[in-house]
Amino acid sequence: MDAHVAQLQMQYRNYILSLYQQGFLDDQFTELKSLQDDGTPDFVAEVLSLFFDDCVKLVGNMARALDQTGTVDFSQVGANVHQLKGSSSSVGAKRVKGLCINFKELCEAKNYEGCVRCLQQVDIEYKTLKAKLQDMFNLEKQIVQAGGIVPQVDIN
Amino acid sequence: MTVEQGIEAVDQFPVGMRVLAVDDDHTCLRILETLLHRCQYHVTTTDKAQTALELSRENKNKFDLVISDVDMPDMDGFKLLELVGLEMDLPVIKLSSHSDPKYVMKGVKHGACDYLLKPVRIEELKNIWQHVVRKSKFKKMKSVVTNGESEGNSDQNGVRANRKRKDPLEEEDEEEEEQQERGNEKKPRVIWTREMHNKFLAAVDHVGIKNAVPKKILELMDVDNLTRDNVASHLQKFRLALKKITNEAKQQVNMAAANSHFMQMSSLKGLGGFHHHSPIPLGSSQFHGGAATTRHYPSNRTFAGMFPHVSSSLPRNLHNDGGYMLQGTPFPPLENLHINSNNKAFPSFASQQSSLLVAPSLVLEGHQQSSSPSYSPHLEINKRLEDWSNNIPQSNVHSEPDALGWNMFGNSTNQTYFCRDTDFGSSSAAHADSLQMKQQHENIFSPMTVAQLLRSSSANEGLFMGQQKLEDGFMASDAGSLDDIVNSMMTQQEQSSRVLGRRLGLGGIITHSKHAYDMRICVFFFLLVSMRVFLFRHKSLVLSIFWLSSSFVREP
Repeated sequence: MDAHVAQLQMQYRNYILSLYQQGFLDDQFTELKSLQDDGTPDFVAEVLSLFFDDCVKLVGNMARALDQTGTVDFSQVGANVHQLKGSSSSVGAKRVKGLCINFKELCEAKNYEGCVRCLQQVDIEYKTLKAKLQDMFNLEKQIVQAGGIVPQVDIN
Repeated sequence: MTVEQGIEAVDQFPVGMRVLAVDDDHTCLRILETLLHRCQYHVTTTDKAQTALELSRENKNKFDLVISDVDMPDMDGFKLLELVGLEMDLPVIKLSSHSDPKYVMKGVKHGACDYLLKPVRIEELKNIWQHVVRKSKFKKMKSVVTNGESEGNSDQNGVRANRKRKDPLEEEDEEEEEQQERGNEKKPRVIWTREMHNKFLAAVDHVGIKNAVPKKILELMDVDNLTRDNVASHLQKFRLALKKITNEAKQQVNMAAANSHFMQMSSLKGLGGFHHHSPIPLGSSQFHGGAATTRHYPSNRTFAGMFPHVSSSLPRNLHNDGGYMLQGTPFPPLENLHINSNNKAFPSFASQQSSLLVAPSLVLEGHQQSSSPSYSPHLEINKRLEDWSNNIPQSNVHSEPDALGWNMFGNSTNQTYFCRDTDFGSSSAAHADSLQMKQQHENIFSPMTVAQLLRSSSANEGLFMGQQKLEDGFMASDAGSLDDIVNSMMTQQEQSSRVLGRRLGLGGIITHSKHAYDMRICVFFFLLVSMRVFLFRHKSLVLSIFWLSSSFVREP
């Protein structure tokens, strides 16, 4: 079983590293992880779930704002983007944050098509991240179930 | 949070600091909450600005600090910032993902204590308690100030009143502040400027030297930041100086009496008396009158009062009494002053001036006393010289000997005048300095001035100007210079006993010569005197020179 645990842990470590290397996550995620302790074992999961809920909400708002038949309220879109940017930066969702920065510029430029495209990208991106982090959590679960301890991954 | 927890938290500040966190972004709010918990603060969260406002209004002492996001749907973050700051006077920290400086500026303008960028790091949150401390300190300072103003008392009273209302929690901080303030209050040291000293003298004069009490003087002076103690110590110094003057005047009188017989000799021999000690008698006797007169003054009024009276009388006498003034005190004392006043600054001159002032009455006395040997020879010489002069005010004569006297002792002695430290210490020194500075201007008593006049300007002009300046100086002298005069009088008398004797003879002759007319002669004498300093060893040579010059003087 130890070998299995070790293997799982290795798998977990590699996975995390790949996420960082692919730019899905950044240092803020590490900080987030460091805040999790024995008192709050589900802290990261809790925060991330909050984040993804916000994502859904905000993207929906933006889609609605952009989908308006009349004039598009770009300020509204911009506000939502701004918020999304804040959230994503707080959790360490690097790619999402990058997209939000672009999105914001497009909103200021009132580039409708650009905004629409960007929104689509944001939508894809956060869903991708969500899936990846889900896998990570599953791995953690497996390790714990296997009797092991989720390793602290040192990103350097 | 229970009461116990609250008290504990407060004692362990910043642990347990109560923070209200407001952010419509749930993700950020959750993270913030966790971070604050990690810093051991007590956290209350809400995603609505309105809720936050209500929460803080509910109990104004409920929170120590508010952290609020900028972008919120129901209320502008800056507005919330203003309201919270105004109503509850809590420190508010702004939070935003906007890194644009204009937002930061807006936050500052609306009264934010700090502006944090998202994502917030725990390191930044660990230091936010400083804003609470700073704000509370500021509140204390404000209350101290308002207390001080409302009570209308000194800062000490205000601080003491505030002390009573301290919170037990903040006791240490308040004590520190109060101690610092008290320390600051003690710091300022009163420096007796010339103006202040003048006011002091005017007040003393008004009250009378015998009735001078610090409290009355303080009231009359009406100077800010001056305490009764300052005045008391200054008055003590003043009285000591006065006492010294009168004592020295007495000494001078005694010496004059002892040496009175020399006067005639020295005066007759003129230059010959250069090496004699006669000048002292002459001067001293004259000075005796002066001293006596001087002594009268203190008894009746302060020196401050004396001055104006004497000065007013001086011109009169100068113009009316003809040559008598010559016999007046000024010259011998002047010479006395200048001779060895190594430590005598021009204040000594001032004392000469005072003796000059006294001169009018003195002169009258001397004249009436005609028995005084000193006067007669001088009178003779004067009368001889009177052919040359008529209308010239005696004042010129005064100036002449003064200048000559100074010149006699050379530049070095003149210069030493300014090094003198009077009994009044800083005040007199200040006067001395100011007088020194005024040399080039009018109303200067400094001997240097007159000497300079003689040297620099044409003979006639110089003497005249010098005299005018003397007169003007007398008239214009303020109370401050009285001190100088007093001091110089004292010192003059001290010095006069010694070297002056020799000089006096020469000085006497010079003094008796009619001023304006003898400008040339005076200049000649001056040169002789100057040379004499250098030819000190060649007494015979000098003596002969002086004899020649004196004979020249005597035979107009």
